[in-house]
Amino acid sequence: MKKTALFLSLAALGLGSAFAADPAKINWAKVPVTQVPLFYPGQSTYEWLRSDEHKNAAKEVKRGDACTACHDEESAEKDIGNKIVKGGRLEPTPIPGKSGYKDLKVQAAYDDSNAYLRFQWKTDNPYPGTEHQYLRFDGKEWKVWGFPKLDKPVQQGKEPGIYEDRLSVMLDDGKVPGFNKQGCWLTCHDGQRDNPKQFTKEEVAANPLLTSIKKSDVRKYLPETRTDPSNWKTGKTVEEIAKLKADGHFLDLIQWRAHRSHAVGMADDGYVLEFRLSDSGRDMFSGNSDNATHAPKFMWDEKKVGYKSITALQLHKGDHFLIREQNAVPFDPNAGWKEGDMIPDYLISREDAMGSAADNKAIASWKEGMWTVVIIRPLGLTNDDDKALKPGAVYNVGFAVHDDNITTRGHQVSFEKTLGLGVTKGTKVDINAVKLP
Amino acid sequence: MSHSPRARSLLSTLLACATLALATPTATAFDEAAAKALAKQNDCFKCHAVDKTKKGPSYQKIAAKYKGKPDGEEKAIKNITMGQKVKLEDGTEEDHKIIDTKDPKELKNLVQWILAQ
Ligand code: HEC
Ligand code: HEC
Repeated sequence: MKKTALFLSLAALGLGSAFAADPAKINWAKVPVTQVPLFYPGQSTYEWLRSDEHKNAAKEVKRGDACTACHDEESAEKDIGNKIVKGGRLEPTPIPGKSGYKDLKVQAAYDDSNAYLRFQWKTDNPYPGTEHQYLRFDGKEWKVWGFPKLDKPVQQGKEPGIYEDRLSVMLDDGKVPGFNKQGCWLTCHDGQRDNPKQFTKEEVAANPLLTSIKKSDVRKYLPETRTDPSNWKTGKTVEEIAKLKADGHFLDLIQWRAHRSHAVGMADDGYVLEFRLSDSGRDMFSGNSDNATHAPKFMWDEKKVGYKSITALQLHKGDHFLIREQNAVPFDPNAGWKEGDMIPDYLISREDAMGSAADNKAIASWKEGMWTVVIIRPLGLTNDDDKALKPGAVYNVGFAVHDDNITTRGHQVSFEKTLGLGVTKGTKVDINAVKLP
Repeated sequence: MSHSPRARSLLSTLLACATLALATPTATAFDEAAAKALAKQNDCFKCHAVDKTKKGPSYQKIAAKYKGKPDGEEKAIKNITMGQKVKLEDGTEEDHKIIDTKDPKELKNLVQWILAQ
């Protein structure tokens, strides 16, 4: 496949509506830019923020004060991020050279059909993070190759850091208690992957809530889903959680992924409640490793792209997306595989994505060290796992960028911000989406 | 009016002295940049803004409280070096932050800046 920048027709994006703007033709020069500072939060979990380690602030955070009631001084975000990223009490495994701070430019617009959210940020690397983990043949077996930089094998220098870039938006319509004050930090807890007191398999197996939803690790959750918000091991009943969801007590989580969704012009659609969950339907990506043999399920179609697999020498040279309907064929175990052959660990498909999980589209390009991503989300979604965007309304949002081959807490994040859709003059919001002509 | 060479050199010496006096903290002059840097490094701005109430009173309010009181400087320095109990708006008490310097010049400079707000 050729270099980045995907040019997809409106039809390919599934945006056929007569009233929708062509997102590729929006004149962004006319849309105001909001600079949102993003900083590296390390392990500043819900629990840490409420402990005496957060000096003279635990009481205020517990009673629900906004982070920015105190952290609003000049360059607050830059100072916190640059300090934490170097390592110390909130970062036990610092990543050499990682930036503690990023400027995120945010613009927003809408028309009768969609909201358009445009983001720009600079990458630490001189290439776009469109590579994701691979399955690599070691002469005998296929094994996952390349890991996020906070993982041990990378820290010990045994594996290269490979993980897709991401831009995430957490969105609340005012129904999640406390999100308007403390934003994403409601969802970040001890016990999660890469956080203090990380879960063990046995602990997860002993948790009725996680076993009832068939999960084997601990991810983002809202305080309301636990009987003790600071202890993931407690949990409300599935019925109680269904009630919270029906009452809108969940966050929408939109993630644009530079490999697994960008390849097909989409952003994924999930939500945070008792776990970080995918919306109903089917995601645009799925695992490409066979459960039993760990060999790939699909490989590249040599007739179309000229190769069945790549090697490490081809990394960062072009886009290495394996797309079911474009360039993939079933894996042939007898194709004379050699040590070092690599096939993507994920299969991507626009055609297979369905239902609520397939709501969000995206157009993105990387140029001269900068990502430009436009996320396109239909207005007025009615799925029970979506927050409906409506003209005139105001939302609480948090933003995050995962840059330079990293996942979990290795992101730069924003304090809580407000997003309005064409709000009337006098209503104060950080970002106001303008109505397109 | 024209100055003799001697008068001109006297004038420049005077000017140099005046500049020096401004640069070093005296009873009336402080180094604002140094004061702010010290306050920032010690998280003072997380609880005090210049012109609005946060967890602690604004520096303007503190300055107003001590206006015209000769022991203001001394009291303020005590407040930030001794961990004295301070009262919060919700009626509870907590030990005040202790600044991480004992240098009397630095302390004096910071407090003079606060009291000038
Ligand atoms: C009542 C004021 C107050 C509130 C509210 C508050 N903080 Fe803090 N925060 C502080 C102070 C003071 C410090 C510095 C003392 C310390 O590091 O423990 C601090 C330190 C931190 C640090 C560590 C910075 C470093 O340099 O190590 C992080 C991260 C942080 N706060 C995040 C948050 C977040 C996120 C929230 C909202 C959930 C929040 N704080 C709410 C006052 C506050
Ligand atoms: C955790 C919050 C917090 C931090 C951090 C903090 N202060 Fe305060 N400070 C307060 C509160 C609350 C008061 C109010 C005391 C009162 O009204 O009784 C106060 C009072 C003061 C006063 C006035 C004392 C008086 O006599 O009225 C000064 C001066 C002061 N602080 C300076 C500082 C300096 C300098 C720093 C940084 C070294 C700092 N504060 C850090 C909360 C804080």
